[in-house]
Amino acid sequence: MSKERRLTPPTMIAGPTRDAGEPAVPDGPIDPRAVRVGVAASSRLEGDPAITLSPAPDPAIRLPQDGVASPDLPLIDGVATAVILERFGDIRARLIEPADAGSTGPAVRTNLLLGPVRIDRAHGTRLREVVVDGWRIEVELEFERRAVFRERARRGAGTASLGGPVEVRAIIPGRVVAVSVATGDSVEAGQQVLVVEAMKMQNELRAPREGSVERVGVAVGDTIEVGDLLIVIH
Amino acid sequence: MTPPFNRILVANRGEIALRIIRAAHEMGMQAVAVYSDADATAAHVRAADAAVRLGSAAPAESYLRVDAVVSAALESGAQAVHPGYGFLSEQAGFARAVEDAGLVFVGPSAATIAALGDKLAARRTARAADVPHVPGTLEPAPVDRPDQLEAVLLAAEAVGFPLLVKAAAGGGGRGMRRVMAANDLPAALIAGSREAAAAFGDGSVYLEREIMPARHIEVQLLGDATGQVVALGERDCSTQRRHQKLIEEAPAPGLTETERRRLHAMAVRLGIAAGLENAATAEFLYDRDGRFWFLEVNTRLQVEHPVTELVAGVDIVQEQFRLAAGASLSARALAAAERAARPTSHAIELRISAEDPARVFAPTPGRITRWVMPAGPGVRVDTAVEAGDRIPAEYDPLICKLIVHAADRPAAIGRLRRALDETEIGGIQTTLPFHRAMLAQPGFLDATGLSTTWVDAHWDGPASRAKAVRVASLAAGLAELGEAAAGEQGGSPSSAGPDGSDGPHHVADRADRDGSVPAWRTAGRELATDRWPA
Repeated sequence: MSKERRLTPPTMIAGPTRDAGEPAVPDGPIDPRAVRVGVAASSRLEGDPAITLSPAPDPAIRLPQDGVASPDLPLIDGVATAVILERFGDIRARLIEPADAGSTGPAVRTNLLLGPVRIDRAHGTRLREVVVDGWRIEVELEFERRAVFRERARRGAGTASLGGPVEVRAIIPGRVVAVSVATGDSVEAGQQVLVVEAMKMQNELRAPREGSVERVGVAVGDTIEVGDLLIVIH
Repeated sequence: MTPPFNRILVANRGEIALRIIRAAHEMGMQAVAVYSDADATAAHVRAADAAVRLGSAAPAESYLRVDAVVSAALESGAQAVHPGYGFLSEQAGFARAVEDAGLVFVGPSAATIAALGDKLAARRTARAADVPHVPGTLEPAPVDRPDQLEAVLLAAEAVGFPLLVKAAAGGGGRGMRRVMAANDLPAALIAGSREAAAAFGDGSVYLEREIMPARHIEVQLLGDATGQVVALGERDCSTQRRHQKLIEEAPAPGLTETERRRLHAMAVRLGIAAGLENAATAEFLYDRDGRFWFLEVNTRLQVEHPVTELVAGVDIVQEQFRLAAGASLSARALAAAERAARPTSHAIELRISAEDPARVFAPTPGRITRWVMPAGPGVRVDTAVEAGDRIPAEYDPLICKLIVHAADRPAAIGRLRRALDETEIGGIQTTLPFHRAMLAQPGFLDATGLSTTWVDAHWDGPASRAKAVRVASLAAGLAELGEAAAGEQGGSPSSAGPDGSDGPHHVADRADRDGSVPAWRTAGRELATDRWPA
């Protein structure tokens, strides 16, 4: 019965796992100044890309459209890119980009807000809220060298961890109004496992993949906060 | 002019409580606020002349407590109680308790709320007033009687699928379920009833045909004790998601004067049939064949009342206070009603909510770290929020109403765009990006795409967000490189990672070992301006 009870259209309240959306490990030497920027787990959606930025190693790199020797441009994923961040004090800024690569059209100016940098001690990264066109994106900044090192370590352990337990954590606070599964139950991907009420709306939480329920961390009536462990699926 | 009352109590919170307190103060009345523990320092408490605590944060322990609100009014010496919208505003029992305590309820009488506020009773009233209502049932579905399931299914077949299960006491889509087939009906009835019971304290639900595609058009009514009822004009609230309004405007685009007169007359007939003596709104669906179907009446001030105020030139809340004190409809309101079928300006309201438009509008309660609101000609911002405030998870996610007024619809849209460019909110995700995107939608701009199902069918939050992710990543990365380089120069205070990790600031900058600031940073702005003509 509980499986059939459609409360609302499915609402994603579980954040994707931590290492989604990172680029492939580059070959060759890594610029020690290079910075990896991705969307932090707290605001990441599946498929969000990560990019790598570094100051240009060679001042002779030219602007694409005029062929004249130019000041060094930052490398973005290894490509010298004409992009400029104009700062207006600590918070307001504007990103200026050419309309299209090689285009001579007007530059695209996007106003944005840069929040203060926060240190994520647990993961050794730096977090920063950026607001663009009303979207609040929390980005995660990490040295490329460190990111690559971390990825290699993870790949070494990768075969063992594939198919390991998936922790589903709350990305909105609220109150648990229904728990549809118990420890030991097998679940299908997309099956409703919890209902969380927040701001008077009931939000369904569905299993991110099939497996068996290893642990249910909450009970009906519990108040949950962002990041709380809700359920573990093995 | 003598104030209608000396002291009034506002039985609400958030922007609407502040809006009502402002009206009271402008009329020379004192205002008493009520609050829950989550709102002890909220704007409406600060603005009021006195404030009374109701209880803990949960609505059932505070803003929904009839007894506590009525005793707060009595103890604080208020003569009248304004309920705002939501909470107790449409509960006849509350209006009756206020009246029984010898106080004035600022809104329709308890009898009118019972006749119109209950959607089922309103549908029966419409039938009696010869106003066509949306086809469906006129009695509550027997949710607690499994033995009557067959009867419900028969009724549903008569209405036709897909249909809507709706809460008789409902509003704003709470308790509402869309049902595609008979199999899904029992679960939808139970879930809808449970949500309705939680939200309104009344689990009655009924069935209604889904009219689709349709526009949602509603009429603002005012009535007085002499039995006179007028329409101040209509609003188009078609841009909705899951029956939650997102954008509202007045007048409804594209209606002819004849259609307006017909619509306003139907609404007035309903108001007269129900003995309306204050403010109410009659909601209709407008189908592709130009027919209006009566949906329901909201016997209270609407969230979107400001767009009508701006176009009609009437302060609806102040009118409510005067009418509640026994005055007849003001000359100003009567004149506005005379002009209502021939509007000469346009107003649009955006509901900015603490919701994530990339995650199916999931609520995003939390702390607001930055809050800069637009200003300038024709801009009105109704909000009770400021930087540093925490948006509680217990209440409605609406945090701000951005309203513009201009000569016509294109001018209003241009003004809205400009106002959105000035708006800065940090700390929580809001619906701002959705609104920005809507103002670029051709179907919204020429009003041909207005439909209650447009957002559910077309809005792609993640796609809209992708560009912002790229810009955010570039900006944060460039800021990091720039701050690292500046750190090399002057020893920026943030350059030493407190955890001793090799944070980007610790890296030796090969290119800048000679101490010069990277040329692209200093020259960049001029270069950008020179080489990419704006």
